[in-house]
Amino acid sequence: MIKKMNLSRRQFIGVAGGIIGASAFATSLPSDIPSESGDISSEKGAMPSGPAVEKKSKINTADFSVEHHEADVLVIGGGFAGVFAAVKAHDAGAKVMMVAKGGVGTSGLSPFAKGVFSYDPKTAKMSIDEFVAKVSESAINTNNPVFTRQLAEHSYDRVQELKSWEFFDSPLSRNSFMLPIKERKIPVIERVMITHLLKENGRVVGASGFSLNDKKVIHFNAKTVVLCTGSGGFKPSGFPVCDLTHDGTIMAYNIGAKVTGKEWNDGHPGSAVNSGSCYDNWHGQIEEKPSVNGIMVNHHLGVDANYRAYTTGAPITMGPPKPGDKNTVSNEGPYIPPAFRQTDMPPRPQEDRGILSMFSKKENSGPPGMGGEQVGGSTAGMAIHKSEGIVPIDETGLSTIPGLYAAGDALGSYMSGGIYTQIGGSAAGSAVQGAFAGEAAAKASQSVDLITLTEQRFNQVQAEILAPLKRQSGYSPAWVTQVLQGIMIPNFVLYIKKDRMMQAALAYVEELKEHHVPMLMADDLHKLRLAHETENMIVTAEMKLKASLMRTESRCSHYRLDYPDIDNKNWQAWINIHKDDQGEMIFEKQPFALWPKFS
Amino acid sequence: MSIHEIAGCIGCETCVEVCPTDVIQFDKKNNRAVITYPEDCQICHLCRLYCPVDAITINSEKSIPVMVSWR
Repeated sequence: MIKKMNLSRRQFIGVAGGIIGASAFATSLPSDIPSESGDISSEKGAMPSGPAVEKKSKINTADFSVEHHEADVLVIGGGFAGVFAAVKAHDAGAKVMMVAKGGVGTSGLSPFAKGVFSYDPKTAKMSIDEFVAKVSESAINTNNPVFTRQLAEHSYDRVQELKSWEFFDSPLSRNSFMLPIKERKIPVIERVMITHLLKENGRVVGASGFSLNDKKVIHFNAKTVVLCTGSGGFKPSGFPVCDLTHDGTIMAYNIGAKVTGKEWNDGHPGSAVNSGSCYDNWHGQIEEKPSVNGIMVNHHLGVDANYRAYTTGAPITMGPPKPGDKNTVSNEGPYIPPAFRQTDMPPRPQEDRGILSMFSKKENSGPPGMGGEQVGGSTAGMAIHKSEGIVPIDETGLSTIPGLYAAGDALGSYMSGGIYTQIGGSAAGSAVQGAFAGEAAAKASQSVDLITLTEQRFNQVQAEILAPLKRQSGYSPAWVTQVLQGIMIPNFVLYIKKDRMMQAALAYVEELKEHHVPMLMADDLHKLRLAHETENMIVTAEMKLKASLMRTESRCSHYRLDYPDIDNKNWQAWINIHKDDQGEMIFEKQPFALWPKFS
Repeated sequence: MSIHEIAGCIGCETCVEVCPTDVIQFDKKNNRAVITYPEDCQICHLCRLYCPVDAITINSEKSIPVMVSWR
């Protein structure tokens, strides 16, 4: 057993992990495979291949070109956080570059944000102090009040900027997001998946990845890096998060940064009809223009629906209770603070759409989980917005690694806490945090020099990036992902947690990590992306299970059948995770309201 | 089967750029967008909404079985 573990860890670090400890890796790879065919020709996609397939790669890794770029501030990601980070870093005088796995304004969750919170001091019905207190009450103190306050204090200004970019004038955000980028002539490279953060002498010095368009490895040397990479999931069904796989969190973890929040769950269910369709789940809302909303503090999208489904079975419905509704929230199961219990509210007339009216003016429109018969887990693998990600050491989103910042859903800011609190807070929070991180990163870049890695180090990174293309036999990422989904997504593993089931799931996940990740195989650039995404999801699954096992209480969106109560004596704390010098995944408590220091 | 058809493509590549999950590839030789990985389509309709000539049709069903938490 010990022998197997050691071998597995070596394989993991050498083949798929961070650049630390990957010595002499390049020379141990199989020789290049001759190119079989050129560009993509098939019109129809195939079902995921079965395990242990053997086939030749469509591309020869020897054909890859290498591109180098330099910047003061490298922004990774092109959503709310990324755009504001790039704009504010530029305006603070830095030479900025942006790189995104997808398109600016068309990837991650940003294109689907239809409500944006703005705290307008002229019209707000409560003070900022009262707002922060209300969020803390809903979040049962899991929120970081510094970031909650920052959201309220700066959301209005960011929303005004979004208005000036005509963001609210179209259901499609690409042109709006590109407007300030083009005005400032900030260089953007789209459709490049970043897989590695580069670290030298204890600080981040850049990042590396590969193009989804061309056979090209791209290295960025940067004085500071801002991760705006969003959150992630297990490529679930019915929520537009299938392009996000916690890439930023995992690459930061791989260079020693602390990450957090893996025990929390976003609890969006999906529609029972056409469960796999995001568009259908959002009831056409994707085609509506976004709008601004004010204070509306809730305690929802936790595990209450999952608990009801677990105890009574499907079908269930979700949304505001209506007169005669059988599926109202009971006093059993996940604790909801009294002020936020919907059953305590007076019955609504049928025509009052309640919370739905905040999202959409259309009768049947709204986000997933609102109305109709439901199934579970449409966001499986994703936590409450901003409760998971890179651990900050201050309000700028600086990580525990000097030079590395994060913002938005990539930052474990606990702006909302371990439960969804303020409607529209996620988009606004990403904008606010992006602005903070961009400005801070620009300022920090003034006092450091660019550091370039040696050719040998670049070659090591390149070998790790391209490794799945070189394997002649192994496992298809699509199949490994399906296996992972089968292990993690069931209600009795991910949502209604208990020790025995999580231990069982962990055994499967560890098998995937130790044995299958080192053999993930790709035969084109798309599958190379899937291979890296699959690895990131598997590491995330391990983090989620271990953090959930460690948290022996129930609070907010983390619910354990075997520890159903809040434990304030032992758990006034977040769980931080980091990789130690031996490559071990380490978990530690971080008391609420305390900040860590540099690693 | 997710994204179903691209008919009347003018070769602008917009759908390739805006697809979050890299489902559509561009066939340079024939100057047209090609549905290449429909199994990875999340059925978000961004490609259809951005297409300047309404060339894209989409079905609501996934091409592979869907894993949900409960049903």
